[in-house]
Amino acid sequence: MGGMGWHLIRGWAILVYIFMFLPVGVVVLLSFNASQFGSFPMTGFSFRWFVELANNDAILRAFRTSIILGLLTALISTTLGVLASLALVRYRVPGANAISTLLIAPILVPEVVLAVALLLFLNVLGINKSFALLLFGHVIFTLPFVILVVQARLVAIRRDVEEAAMSLGASPMETFFQITLPLMLPAVLAGGLFAFTISFDDITGTLFWKPGGVETVPTQIFAMLRNSISPEINALGTVMIAMTVGLPLLGAAVARKISRNSGA
Amino acid sequence: MSVEAREARQPWILLSPALTAIVLLLVVPLIFILVYSFWLRTATGADVAGFHLDNWQEALTDPFYRDILLGTLKIAAITAVVCALMGYPAAYFIARSEGNKAILLLLLMLPFWISYIIRTMSWINILGVSGAFNTFLMWTGVISEPIQMLYNQTTVILGLVHFLLPFMVLNVFVSLDGIDTNLEDAANSLGATKWESFVQVTLPLSLPGLAAGGLLCFVLAAGTYITPLVLGGPRDAMFANLVFEAIITQLNWPLGSALSLMLLAVLGVLVMIYNRYLGMAQLMKGLG
Amino acid sequence: MTKKMDNTTRYERLLERYGNGDLDRRSFLGLIGAAGLAYGVQTPFARQALAATDEVRFDGWGGVVSEAFRKYAFDPYTAKTGVPVVDGTFGGGDEYLSRVKASQPGEYNIAHLSGVFDYARYANLGFASELNEANIPNLEFVIPKLVDVYRPITGGKLSCVPYDYGTTGIAYNRKYISDEEMKTKGAKILIDEAYKGKISGWGDWRTRIWFGALQTGQDPNNAEDMDAVWDAIRAHRDLSLKYWTSGAELMSLLAEEEIYVTEAWSGRIYALQEQGHDIGYMDPPNGYGWQECLFVIKGSPMEACEELLNFMLAPETSIAVAEGQNYPPALDPSKVELGDKIPTLPAFDPEGTLAGLTFADPGYWNGHEAEWSKTFGRVQKGY
Repeated sequence: MGGMGWHLIRGWAILVYIFMFLPVGVVVLLSFNASQFGSFPMTGFSFRWFVELANNDAILRAFRTSIILGLLTALISTTLGVLASLALVRYRVPGANAISTLLIAPILVPEVVLAVALLLFLNVLGINKSFALLLFGHVIFTLPFVILVVQARLVAIRRDVEEAAMSLGASPMETFFQITLPLMLPAVLAGGLFAFTISFDDITGTLFWKPGGVETVPTQIFAMLRNSISPEINALGTVMIAMTVGLPLLGAAVARKISRNSGA
Repeated sequence: MSVEAREARQPWILLSPALTAIVLLLVVPLIFILVYSFWLRTATGADVAGFHLDNWQEALTDPFYRDILLGTLKIAAITAVVCALMGYPAAYFIARSEGNKAILLLLLMLPFWISYIIRTMSWINILGVSGAFNTFLMWTGVISEPIQMLYNQTTVILGLVHFLLPFMVLNVFVSLDGIDTNLEDAANSLGATKWESFVQVTLPLSLPGLAAGGLLCFVLAAGTYITPLVLGGPRDAMFANLVFEAIITQLNWPLGSALSLMLLAVLGVLVMIYNRYLGMAQLMKGLG
Repeated sequence: MTKKMDNTTRYERLLERYGNGDLDRRSFLGLIGAAGLAYGVQTPFARQALAATDEVRFDGWGGVVSEAFRKYAFDPYTAKTGVPVVDGTFGGGDEYLSRVKASQPGEYNIAHLSGVFDYARYANLGFASELNEANIPNLEFVIPKLVDVYRPITGGKLSCVPYDYGTTGIAYNRKYISDEEMKTKGAKILIDEAYKGKISGWGDWRTRIWFGALQTGQDPNNAEDMDAVWDAIRAHRDLSLKYWTSGAELMSLLAEEEIYVTEAWSGRIYALQEQGHDIGYMDPPNGYGWQECLFVIKGSPMEACEELLNFMLAPETSIAVAEGQNYPPALDPSKVELGDKIPTLPAFDPEGTLAGLTFADPGYWNGHEAEWSKTFGRVQKGY
């Protein structure tokens, strides 16, 4: 690839990335700020908030809860979403249009309404709040993200590839795992990533559904808003970013080194 | 059992887990909301059961709600268009780049590791009167006084775009990534310019992803309440703020229920249209 | 979690709570039925009956506040009584009330609520419990004026203990607005054309109406001319850059000089001053005083809650929380030694009489709540 057009596209993409990183940069800078309230100009460079973060049980516990909740949400939501998308794209389902709309409905209802409504329903059934409820609440409103992205990919996968496999004697199951799934894997991963980030970042539903003693990172932050958000939260953001950027790069570097060594 | 019968049953088996979850956790609770929308709130805060049309009459006839709903749809549409304009080239770059695509995509999700409320509030450090942007402009001498940039409709849209852009990029990427690049090469070898082959081959094939991303950006923008609170001025409230205030601040669940069902109906119709003309039409093309 | 407890004990405890009036008849019978069922299947109801006596749930503000409570009150309390305290957080009083309204009886026990207003709202919605004050000896140290406002709302009894107080006054950037100017203009500075675009205010209907009354020279607890108040609120809206919605936002707007003047919570401005920002704070005449309380919600295990309240009112807990959030504790300085920092906090009254503060009259405000909160919702958005 080359040419004028490609340079323009690359320049544009870089601008988009800079735009996305602006608030991230602020938070990372502030996490090294010596003073307590996040504002510029910085009063000095310090690792103080990282040390305090390491000793803050409440935030670390909330972080663990958020991660576990996000992973489970991603797993369940992606599974349900992939199955539903397959049904809608690969079969003639009567009322497919209405079903598609129904499956997207969770993001059409303001979250606060969904949150209250679900609690009213549970009260009628006499069921207490639990982690499972919180998890399923998250699954419900991450499902549309998965379904939208998987459907869009599935439509682009040509049916004849699958049919060719079947005509060569593969069972529908084998066809799915050996042909369809690998082809739609990017969408499945994207859906899982959506589900995780949405769950990890959710505030409104979580506030209402969390059982006693369960806090996520966003609910902890929300509860700090009245006074001031402690800079340990900025430090936590910095640690997470360092991990997401660092681990894949490290992995790639190690892989390169190994292949070079074995190649020599 | 006949093959046809099995064929007919299979999609329902695949759909049943998702549909069960949606019916139990969304549809049934929404019935409660529907019932609630006919109740009345009293001055002391207790709700009176019954069948009263007052909330619906208020929600449907009061120009206050209509104006804010229309304003919200407008902001959501602008947000979706801006996301598409910014996101499509970026997604194209990722899909066609020789670098590590997974890392490029993951980088785009980085802002999500910092809580929504914090990254929304951090715009004050970038665009505020003593923020980075103004400081830079004053340092270069372009301006002598800081410009007031924050707390208007533009910054609300900016905040929404920042929140929603990754969803657009990922959706478009997934579509672009599935397109056989040989198709473009073939078009080129037949004498089409790069631009022509893009417009005639790649763009149409990536339309489902663009549409899915656009829909996602639109409905999510239409449902936000935190962004206008943090980045908007006094007149920049959106419809979800009204719902949130009715339910939380005024504890007026009956009116809040009616308002949210109204929003659901409007957005639901738009999604139906999407499914009819973009979702299904593309599906048929894929099958044909 | 489901500690073994035989059904007789459970029945006796429930009977006792019923006798105390903590449980209404319907939930009492429901719980008895559930207790009977507990022999067989573990129904959700049975778990609730157990949970009600086996732990105490507290909900409050996070960060420094919850850390101080955990360290000075919850852990010692659990060590003494064996009853664990499960703590939760909320982002605001209104949000928490919605959650309580959508909860099952007994699910939430104690909450750190804003005084008088919320107290009356909870009482109106039937969430008021009845404290046995004899079980809370530390209540003696609390400033009497703070306690007295609650009694008329709940028929002479208490459902809460006062915990801290503060004011909502006016904060101003001293680089741009002098102390003298503040003194002459008072609350009217918030509707002064000279600061258009550099004014802000809390997006809360009560605060807006209170200051609207001050700006039109009326008694905030009995405004005669509401039209004038709404006009003042509109004038303020048109001059404002934005409404703030949290203490964190208030602080960053002032610190980043996006605004020069706004109403503000006393403790937040103190925190800014501590950081070296040159922000002034003034309570205009008839300024807005408020208090917060620890409210016990109906259906809670009363004795366990009362004992926990006593731990939370203990001077070392009160002082630690107060120093964390910069609002003075409800303890009477003439009876309790409050340390070095608290006497320097804004709104602190060394006499313990709080004669200088005007508190909201709950009857007046709650009587108009439905109408005013809705009207403000519109005025705020430009209508």
